Amino acid sequence: MKTQKKTYILALAPFLLLCILFEIIPVIYTVVRSFFPEGGDMGFTLDNYINIFTGKLYQQAIINSLMISILSSVIGLLVAFIGAKAVHENGGKLKQVFMSILNMVSNFSGVPLAFAYIIMFGNIGVMTMIGGNYGIEFLAEFPLYSVWGLLLIYVYFQIPLSTLLLIPAFDSIRKEWKEAVALLGGSKGTFWRKVGIPVLMPSILGTFSVLFANALAAYASAYALLMNNVSLLPIRLSEQFVGDIIQRPEFGSAIAVVMMVFMVLAITVQNKMTPKKGGRQ
Amino acid sequence: MAYIEFKNIDKFYGDNHVLKGINLEINKGDFVTLLGPSGCGKSTLLRCLAGLEQISGGQILLDGEDITNKDPKDRNIGMVFQQYSLFPNMTVEENLSFGLKLQKLDTSEINRRVKDAIDMVELKGKEKEYPANLSGGQQQRVALARGIVMQPKVLLLDEPLSAIDAKLRKSLQTSIRRIHKNLGLTSVFVTHDQDEAMVMSDVIHLFHDGKIEQSGRPVEVYTKPVTPFAAGFIGSYNILDAAAMKRMTNRDWQGGQVAIRPETFFLSKDQITTEDYCMEGTITDSVPRGNVLRYSVNVNDVEVYADVLFRSASIYDIGDKIHIGISDRNCVRL
Amino acid sequence: MNQEKKNKHVGAKLAIVIIIAYLLLPLVMTLIYSLFQEWVDIMPTGFTLGAYTELFSDPLFWKAVGRTVVISIIPILLCTVFVLLAMYVVVVYHPEWDRLIQILCTIPYAIQGVILPICVLSLYSSAPEPFGNRMFMLVATYMVVILPYVYQGIRNNLHGVGAPRLIEAAQMLGASKFYAFFRVVIPNIMGGVTVSVMLAMAIVFGDFVIINTLAGGHFMTAQMYLYDVMKKSGQRTCAVIIILFLVTLIISACAFFLQSRGKDRKDR
Repeated sequence: MKTQKKTYILALAPFLLLCILFEIIPVIYTVVRSFFPEGGDMGFTLDNYINIFTGKLYQQAIINSLMISILSSVIGLLVAFIGAKAVHENGGKLKQVFMSILNMVSNFSGVPLAFAYIIMFGNIGVMTMIGGNYGIEFLAEFPLYSVWGLLLIYVYFQIPLSTLLLIPAFDSIRKEWKEAVALLGGSKGTFWRKVGIPVLMPSILGTFSVLFANALAAYASAYALLMNNVSLLPIRLSEQFVGDIIQRPEFGSAIAVVMMVFMVLAITVQNKMTPKKGGRQ
Repeated sequence: MAYIEFKNIDKFYGDNHVLKGINLEINKGDFVTLLGPSGCGKSTLLRCLAGLEQISGGQILLDGEDITNKDPKDRNIGMVFQQYSLFPNMTVEENLSFGLKLQKLDTSEINRRVKDAIDMVELKGKEKEYPANLSGGQQQRVALARGIVMQPKVLLLDEPLSAIDAKLRKSLQTSIRRIHKNLGLTSVFVTHDQDEAMVMSDVIHLFHDGKIEQSGRPVEVYTKPVTPFAAGFIGSYNILDAAAMKRMTNRDWQGGQVAIRPETFFLSKDQITTEDYCMEGTITDSVPRGNVLRYSVNVNDVEVYADVLFRSASIYDIGDKIHIGISDRNCVRL
Repeated sequence: MNQEKKNKHVGAKLAIVIIIAYLLLPLVMTLIYSLFQEWVDIMPTGFTLGAYTELFSDPLFWKAVGRTVVISIIPILLCTVFVLLAMYVVVVYHPEWDRLIQILCTIPYAIQGVILPICVLSLYSSAPEPFGNRMFMLVATYMVVILPYVYQGIRNNLHGVGAPRLIEAAQMLGASKFYAFFRVVIPNIMGGVTVSVMLAMAIVFGDFVIINTLAGGHFMTAQMYLYDVMKKSGQRTCAVIIILFLVTLIISACAFFLQSRGKDRKDR
C-alpha cells in the first residue's frame, strides 16, 4: 500500500506552478529588488526606503493615499451602515431592489466612473456649467481635479461594496435579541450600543479592511482623471516601471513593498481587533 | 469458518489509538450490530471493512480472501450512509443503475435489477424523481436499494436511521430486517441506539474505547452484562458497589459491583417475603416512561431506580413508604 | 407605537431611496450625455443616437470587444480547471492541504490593483519566451487576480454537495476516486461554479490597470478603447461606457439568474 502510485500529485502541479511563478516569485523578487541599489549594481541598501520616506513627493503620496483610503472607507462604511440598517428594518421588496442596484453599480468603477464624474463636475461638466449659469459657486468651482475630487469618486465605489458586505451581517441580528433587551428595560439605543454594534463589530472591521485595501490599490479612476499628475502610491509605483519618465525599478519595488505592508497591516490589525468568538462558529 | 474475519485490527489517527487490536468474526447470513457510544470506534471499523479507511495494523478477510489492501471499489461491499449520500443530479433510477453501468452489464439486466430493488424498498412510481423531491425516509430507502442492487457480499449500514424521525424509523427497521432475510444478506449495522440494536440484530458487539466490551445475542447482552460499562450502556441498570449493596440489603456482601435492572425490583405496599432480599424504602421521585413508571426509591440511604408497569394499583406518591424486594439471580455480578 | 413604527419605516425607506439616487446619478447622467448633442444648461438639447450608430459601425470597437471576450474567457477557463484539479487532490487525498491552497488563494487580495501586474512586469519584462510574452503575462496575471473568487466558488460548492461523502458512495458502487470526483462531484457543482466564474468574468471585463500596465496600447481591449476615445469625444465615450456597462450587467444578471435557479432547485 505504501508503494501506491502518487501520480495524483500531478493534478496539483498546474495550480502550484501558477501560484509560484505569478504570485510568490514576483512578490519575493520585488521585495529582494527593493533592497538593491539603483542602477542595477549588486549590494544591499536601505536607500530606496529612505528616499520614499524623506522625499517630499513620495511622502505626499503616502499621506494622500492613506488619507484618501481611510476617509473613503470611513465615509463608505457610515453610508453602508445607514443603508444596511434601513434595509434590515424595512426588508421586503425594497431590499431586493436595493440589493440589485448595489450589485449593478458595484460594476461601475475605474475609467467609466471617473469619466462620469468628469461630465458632471469637470471643467465643462454639466454641474459646473449649471453652477456657472446660476451663480452656484460650490458647483462652478468644484475641485474635481484634486485629491478631494478623487475622494468623491472613491467614496462612490466604496458604498456599494461596503453595503453589500454589511447587509448579510445585519441579517445575523435576531429579532429576539431586540425583544430581550426591550423586556429587560433597554431602549433601542441601548440595544445598538450594548448588543447590535458589538455583534456587528467583526463584520465592520472586516469590511473596513477590504475597503481600505480596495482604495489603496485603486489605480484606474485616478489615472483616468489626473494621469500622473496626482501624488498617490499606485500612480507613483506604476510610473517607476511604465511610462515616459526614467524607469527606476529598484526604487519602484520599494514603493510596492510599502504598499504591500500597508495591505497586510490592514488585514492583520483587523484580525487582531476582531474578538475571538466563543462557542461554536 | 467465519465469513468476515478481523484479525488484530489497529487503527491510529495520529497519536489517537482508535481501534485497539480488534478480533472479530462474522458469520454468513447474520445481521450483526456494532453498538456503542460516539467515538468508540464502531464506525471506524465499518469504514475499514468498506476500505474507506486504511487500517494501521492487522488483517481483514472476506469469504476467505484477504481484502486488507484492496480498493473499496474492488471489495464488492455495499454501503448505506447516515446522510443518504445520494447523487443529487441523478434520478432514483440513475442512482441505482450507477454502479451497474460501471460494471458494464446488459441494459436489460440493469433494468431488471433496478426494478427489483425499487420494488423491494417499496418506491414504485418514484423512479424518475430527483432525491431533493423525496422525503428523508424515501431517500434512505433509495440509498438502501442502491446498496443492495449491486448484490454485494456484505451490506454495511452506518447509522442509516439516525437522521430519520422516530415513527418512520420503526418502519425502516422492519424493511431492513425483511430485506436482509429475503436476500440472505450478511449485514453489518452500526448504531448508538441500544433499543435499535436489540430489535434488529442476530449478534451485538458492544464497543467501548476502541475495544469490544461484550459480544452476544441481544438477550444475552441485555440480561447478562459483563462489565460496568456494558451494564450502564444497555438498559438503565442500577450499578451498586459492595458497600452500597451491604447497606441496602443489610447483609454481608463480598465482591465487586453489581448490576440490577430496574424492572427486576418488586414493589408493594404490603410486606414482601417472596424475594431473596426484602427491604423497606421511600419513594423520592416518579417519572412515566412509556408503559412503565420509573420510581426513584431510597432504600437505607441507597438510591435505586425501580420500574413498575403502569397500573393504577402500582401508583405511589412521593414520600410513600413501600416494601421493595429483589431476588439474588437478578443481581448481576460484574 | 404604531405611529412610531411607521415613522421609522419612512425614515428607513427615505435613507434607501437617497442612497439609490446618489448611486444612480452618475449612470443616468452618462446615459443622458450619450443621447444628446449638447448639455450646457439644466435640460440637454438635440436628441441623437448618432454616438451609438457611429460606435456600432466602428470595426475597431468590435475588435476591442472581441479581444476583451477572449482575454476574459481564456484565463477564467484555465483558472477554473487548475483549481478543480488542485481541489481533486485536496478533497480526495489530502484534506489537510486545503489550508495551503486557501492561503495561496488569499494572497492576491494583498497584492491587488496595481501591485501584482507591476511585480510580474518587473520580473518577466526581459525574460525569455514564453515568460517575456506580454500575452502570456496577461493571461497568468488575470488568473491570479480571479483566483480568490474561483477558489471560493469551487470550495463552497464542494462543501455544499458534501463532496467527500459523494465520493465514498461512488467508490462503494465500484467507481475509482478519479471517476467519482470528475463524473459525480463535478457535474453536481458545475452550476454553482458557473456563478463564481461569471463574477470573475465581470472583474476581468472591467479591468484597466492590468491591461494598461502589461500591454500598454499594444492590445486594445474594450477598456483601452474607452480610454482612447475619452480624449476624443465625450458623447461617444459615454456611449461606450453605457454599452460596456450593459454587457457587464448581462454577465452578472446571468450569474444571478443561475444562482437563484440553483437555490430553487435545492429548496424543492
